[in-house]
Amino acid sequence: MNAIIDAVINRPDTVAYPFGELELPEGFRGAIVIDPEKCNGCGLCVRDCPTDGLKLEKRSRDEFKLIHYPARCAYCSQCEQSCPRDAIGHSNALVGATERPRELVVVLKEKNGSKG
Amino acid sequence: MNKISIPIGPHHPLLKEPLSMRIDISGERVLGGTLRLGYVHRGIEKMAQQRTYIQDVHLIERICGICSHVHTSTFCLAVEKLLEIEVPPRGQYIRALLCELERVHSHLLWLGILAKHVGLDTVFMHTWHDRELALDIMEGISGGRVSHAANQIGGMRFDLSPEQEELVRLNVEKLKSQVNGVLDVIENEPALRARTQGVAPVSADMIRAYCVVGPVARASGVDVDMRRDDPWPPYDQLDVRVITRPEGDAFARTLIRVLETRESLRLCEVLLENMPDGPVAVRSPRKVPAGEVVTRSEAPRGEVLYYLRSDGSDKPARVKVRTPTLAVLSLLPEQLSAIHVADIPVVLAGIDLCIACADR
Repeated sequence: MNAIIDAVINRPDTVAYPFGELELPEGFRGAIVIDPEKCNGCGLCVRDCPTDGLKLEKRSRDEFKLIHYPARCAYCSQCEQSCPRDAIGHSNALVGATERPRELVVVLKEKNGSKG
Repeated sequence: MNKISIPIGPHHPLLKEPLSMRIDISGERVLGGTLRLGYVHRGIEKMAQQRTYIQDVHLIERICGICSHVHTSTFCLAVEKLLEIEVPPRGQYIRALLCELERVHSHLLWLGILAKHVGLDTVFMHTWHDRELALDIMEGISGGRVSHAANQIGGMRFDLSPEQEELVRLNVEKLKSQVNGVLDVIENEPALRARTQGVAPVSADMIRAYCVVGPVARASGVDVDMRRDDPWPPYDQLDVRVITRPEGDAFARTLIRVLETRESLRLCEVLLENMPDGPVAVRSPRKVPAGEVVTRSEAPRGEVLYYLRSDGSDKPARVKVRTPTLAVLSLLPEQLSAIHVADIPVVLAGIDLCIACADR
């Protein structure tokens, strides 16, 4: 009975996704983001990633490319935990499906030479 | 009357996960059945040997979509035993809190499925509505509804802020008041009683012979619960009330889950009330000393056992998982004899199958 009264008085619990705003909790593990200033290409996130969702192409200390594959990623936040400089982490944004293959490869950081 | 064999599964509306059965019937009576398993075998135990301990925590979490946290907890506990490290008390409490919330959500899910199978769609809607709140609490704590990624070797990966703790406390209270109404209906509904009482009774001797664990064993009067019999902290400090019923039929299995849901919500409150301060994790080395260890936990469906052998490297030499569903499944052909065709869904729902756990 309470549920019926609730449903009549309050707004519906469901969200008109994808047209409505999704309410995600603060700590929701969404899209992977990086702070390029902090990342030094140490590769610890790549070593611990359980799904091979990250790849580091390293030519030298000052020349590297950190790539993220969202389709492989399990959004487990292991990279965030393994990063000693708090450079990589999750945003609150939901990652949806995509029709564009280009979006399945995200270059998180590319550094060419000492100036970056 | 002629004997007819009906194949059910691996893909069938009755089943939530792939399982193949061949059921022999004669008129309205079921004569017996045979099972075929392995449709969701993913080779997780072998995969775990090829990955590091850190990566294995996330792999182990994928064994089951309902009791994922208890699997990682038991695995982490095994590694922590080999490493001889102890999780700080606050980490232990948060770990157990998630285990209990998982039990609430698993039992509510199961009660909904049973209600749907016996035609009580309203109860199904209400239990799943309440289960949603349990999932929201877990999502608020961990950031994930199903895969919580909460455990790490050495403790928990996140702490609860005072605001979060207060929110969880309020939500658990709300969940308790919501759930109690539905659970009362389930306990006293004559239609549910008529469909489940006396259906497929299993004796305590049979339970022991097949090594069946969990709520199915407790519904037949076998007093077994790993939270009390082989507790890991903080369960050794909690007074876990183990609920048993002597009947062994489908109704007893329903009641056990109803009462266990209430007990788990009580434990959640106790855990929140006595939540200690301090760190939630300790640092752990990557390489694990050689040795072997067995750990056990009480998953929502019963005892889950992990055997772990280390050769001193950063990858396990062997990981063996024993899930409760496989033992319960072995009892299924026995239960499928001398029942009515209309009782097949009740028997199948009654044992709370998790094929993903059993096949791995």
